[in-house]
Amino acid sequence: MKMAKAISKTAAIALAVILIIAIVAGAYLAMQPKPTPTETSPTTTASSSPTTTTLAVKNQIVIGVTDKVSDLDPANAYDFFTWEVLQNTMEGLMKYKPGTTELTYGIAESYEVKEDGKVYIFHLKKNLKFADGTPCTAHDVVRSIKRVMKINGDPAWLVTEFVEDVEALDDYTVKFTLKKPVSYFLALVATPPYFPVHPAYKPDEIDSDQTAGGLGPYKIVKWVRDQELVLEANPYYHGEKPKIKTVIIRFYKDATTLRLALERGEIDIAWRTLNPADIESLKKNPNFQVIEVPGAAIRYIIINVKMPGTDNKLVRQALAAAIDRVDISQRVYLGTWTPLYSLIPKGMWSYKPVFKEKYGERANLELAKKLLKEAGYSEDKPLEIELWYTPTHYGDTEKDLAAVLKEQFEATGMIKVTIKSAEWSQYLDFARKGAMQLSLFGWYPDYIDPDDYTTPFLHSKANKWTGSGYANPKVDELLDEAAIKLTPEERTPYYEQVQGILADEVPIIPLVQGKLFVAAKKNVGGIILDPTMQFRYWLLYWKE
Amino acid sequence: MASLRTYVIVRTLMTIPIVLILLTLVFIILRVMPGDPITSMVGMKAPPEYIEMLKEKAGLNKPLIIQYLDYLFGILRGDFGRSLIWGERPVLYEIFDHLPATIELTIFGFAVSVIIGLITGTIAGVRSGTKTDNALRIYSILAYATFIPWLGMMFQLIFGVYLKLLPISGRIEPSLTIDWKPVTGLYVLDGILTGRLDITIDALKHLILPSITLGIVLSGAYTRLVRANIIEVLGQDFVRAAKARGLSEIKVLRHVLKNAFIPVLTMMGLQFAILLTGAVLTETTFSWPGMGTFLLERIKYVDYTTIQGTIVFFALFVSIVNLVVDILYALIDPRIRY
Amino acid sequence: MNIVNAILEKLKTMGLLRNSNALFKAGIIIVAGIIILSALAPLLTPYSPIVGTGDELAPPSLKHPMGTNNLGYDMFSRVLYGARTVLTVVVSATLLSMAIGVPLGLISGYYGGKVDRAISIVMDSMYAFPSLILALAIAAVLGASLINAIIAIAVVYVPTYFRMVRGQTLSIKSLLYVEAARALGASDSRIITRYVFPNLLPTVLVVFSMNIADAILTEAGLSFLGFSVPPPTPDWGADLRVGHSFMLAGYWWLVAFPGLMIMLLATGFALIGEGLSDILNPRREAVG
Repeated sequence: MKMAKAISKTAAIALAVILIIAIVAGAYLAMQPKPTPTETSPTTTASSSPTTTTLAVKNQIVIGVTDKVSDLDPANAYDFFTWEVLQNTMEGLMKYKPGTTELTYGIAESYEVKEDGKVYIFHLKKNLKFADGTPCTAHDVVRSIKRVMKINGDPAWLVTEFVEDVEALDDYTVKFTLKKPVSYFLALVATPPYFPVHPAYKPDEIDSDQTAGGLGPYKIVKWVRDQELVLEANPYYHGEKPKIKTVIIRFYKDATTLRLALERGEIDIAWRTLNPADIESLKKNPNFQVIEVPGAAIRYIIINVKMPGTDNKLVRQALAAAIDRVDISQRVYLGTWTPLYSLIPKGMWSYKPVFKEKYGERANLELAKKLLKEAGYSEDKPLEIELWYTPTHYGDTEKDLAAVLKEQFEATGMIKVTIKSAEWSQYLDFARKGAMQLSLFGWYPDYIDPDDYTTPFLHSKANKWTGSGYANPKVDELLDEAAIKLTPEERTPYYEQVQGILADEVPIIPLVQGKLFVAAKKNVGGIILDPTMQFRYWLLYWKE
Repeated sequence: MASLRTYVIVRTLMTIPIVLILLTLVFIILRVMPGDPITSMVGMKAPPEYIEMLKEKAGLNKPLIIQYLDYLFGILRGDFGRSLIWGERPVLYEIFDHLPATIELTIFGFAVSVIIGLITGTIAGVRSGTKTDNALRIYSILAYATFIPWLGMMFQLIFGVYLKLLPISGRIEPSLTIDWKPVTGLYVLDGILTGRLDITIDALKHLILPSITLGIVLSGAYTRLVRANIIEVLGQDFVRAAKARGLSEIKVLRHVLKNAFIPVLTMMGLQFAILLTGAVLTETTFSWPGMGTFLLERIKYVDYTTIQGTIVFFALFVSIVNLVVDILYALIDPRIRY
Repeated sequence: MNIVNAILEKLKTMGLLRNSNALFKAGIIIVAGIIILSALAPLLTPYSPIVGTGDELAPPSLKHPMGTNNLGYDMFSRVLYGARTVLTVVVSATLLSMAIGVPLGLISGYYGGKVDRAISIVMDSMYAFPSLILALAIAAVLGASLINAIIAIAVVYVPTYFRMVRGQTLSIKSLLYVEAARALGASDSRIITRYVFPNLLPTVLVVFSMNIADAILTEAGLSFLGFSVPPPTPDWGADLRVGHSFMLAGYWWLVAFPGLMIMLLATGFALIGEGLSDILNPRREAVG
């Protein structure tokens, strides 16, 4: 009797579990959108679909990344890796010469600057065609840029802040009228919001999964979100044809999986972003090459100049003197980031290592102590400061950075550091409200120009987001002047002067500058990287 | 029969306030949570006006009570909202993208723990009072006290880094799934269904380390449960009678096992809540693309609707499982009445 | 410890203390050992857990018995000082949830009625919630700090005490001599303090030590996921997180020792709980 009941109980539970699984499975199948929105079939017929083999196919290269493609619409995409994909599948009027930060012509063949820099006129190359053969004219350029302005997505300010109007004078001429002269406008034009897109993009709303693309060397033939992106050489590309026909990008969950995928030969190139520890171990492996280049990303401490304690210039100078960037670079980043002695990264024109000149290459504890004493602090009456960091946005090394900074400040014996943290969105909110005394931030450039490394931080009108509260009319004047001068030669003295003031008044302490690492099979050629941090897939080839 | 119907109705009604309180708790916790998904996504460069505009669009500027009601009625209609980041996908799609991975891991983890639990528990029960029993008791305590990520890392170190025998992260080699569409999302099963045995084998390889990690840590509880049941059943009349009738040891043991296994099944039915905890840690350690890692990622982005949706989905799942199990029990055992 | 002694004394006189308390002894030895080591940390290691030794990623040696981590911090020192962090968080959290859960359970169980139903249903909902996720959500709301970690963990365990105390109170309330006392006109507060609470104590103690064991794992989980004490505070779970990617590159000592300590300390408390429950509930002894 008991047995029988027990068995039917078992059956009942099993039945319940099966029922629920069936319901869930049913719901799952019912929920499956038809066709799946994330998977888009190309408008053009894919002549050769990529093979599933993991062997090195000579006209194919597989790149692994841990990044995500957020949004394939240049009107809304605003993150580094998506921009890279867009720059391989689209092209703007201007672009960067690979390996440099010099601008060169993209789809334009010449340009004129008029009315003291308020008007830019671009002349387009003839016979431009989208990847499916649709012709592209000046009207497409204007349509695409107006679309960005109308949709007003995340990166739209790169257009709307500067451009008053854009119009097509004829099929091959585009005219920009600017709100005021902008010396770095050519650099702006090289960013994705200015890229002409295929007419297939929805005219006035964000088209996140659109793969029709633009005028780039590659076209998208397959995209499965968070899994893979398959690119194929664009037969109608106006410039030099890519050497590799098919580029496959695979998305990995984390850096370690990425490294293992490379070691197993599943991918040919491991790109952003490997862990410092993984880079170390790949460097030792003779089957791979690890290429490093200076990146344009920078890290720095923002100091609130309104808060008691750090409102004193002597205190801020003491903090700057106590920092040992070499130590940070080695211990926190295992050498994957390098010391930075100015806000403008090394390798860019007008860079001047002002903090090295003023405080020395490494920590200057004597100077720090002297400054702190002058400010009225001592071992018995130490300066108390709060150091903020955000735990995920800048990766796992961030807590190490905070810990090492605390160690360095406290080595003076006159500073007591309390470390605090907040998740990214709250962190940004605190910054805007000026609630943090010392906060760790980082910067990826939108356009490659000293202006993008100075005005947003130091100009009293542009630095609201930093929470430093720093304002200096002299600095504002210098930056405004520099922005309307036209040549680097004319502008350099202004930026040098600004950097000098920065090192003296210390509203911000630069810490380190990023290096980029690519690990690839030994026989992959054409890996050319530069501070723009964009990987050009079309330069890759197999060495023989 | 009237009393049974009353029981079913009362039991079902009881579920409603529990679910409602859970929904409210989730809503309150998330809205007290500092920060918001929009700021988190657009980052520091976007001017405040843009952020306001986007918030308006996402409905985050509505009064809290309206947001709360929208949320409740949405769930009533089966609408879990749309993710506030990454392409505004419906939360249910996102859940169903990640749920199969967790279910697969869970099934295998459970299988491991039940197998270990049955073997150790049976031995301990049959040999109760001996040194073996004591040793197994210590085992169950140690298993319980083991920190999942640590055990997982030790396995990764030994089998992945040193011996290079097994994959240590992910569910499947991405290269295998090109041009392949899963049917149920359970890769082991899908490989068979689609005739791709290579996928089944690869998925199994990826499952070994995480499911053993999860299984070992959960097995301690089963060891005890099975042991206690074996001892109880061994002392029961029918077993004594069977022995007296001269049934062979093995046949007796089969009877005993059959009976001892029932409570284990019950426990499985009721452990869905505990699962997610174990899954978060196991999935994080092994980069397993399931609900745990997914939820954690979205907590960091303060993606309200997704976090809400995910937790609510789980809460509903647990409540419904409990409800169904209870009602089925009542159907079988007439003594259970509310 | 006085209460523990008193109860053990009482149990001894009742003749319930038998050889099965080997578990209890083992647990006490482990826990006491870890407490003593962490208290003596400054004498045992010359290194600070939060200042670099200038020697990064050094393998275990005589100088650094557990090696050093990527920042050059001595792991032995971090493990010892980490015990302080973990014990502080976990013991305060468990005491806090006891301080909330026990009175709530007493009130609910003793008085019953609408209040009981309301509290019970909230507690049941919380109980159905995956514990780590609940702690995680609370910690994310409050931000990373020692106090907030304590609060987050405390909230998770309130329902455990509540359910246990409520159930026990219900059964103690219906005991004959308690009903007799009530019939004789003893006040509620007198019944609670004289009869109910003392009878609860042994079970509360068992649950307390089992809970600490569980809370150690929850704390480790929280900090492993990045939601506990801020850096550079030494903490085992946080060290596991940092050490994970280094371990995969072969630096096993960054994770091996902190993880072992988590297991050891949790085992210690679990053994105490087991031993206590054996002592208090000798039925298991009869069968096992």
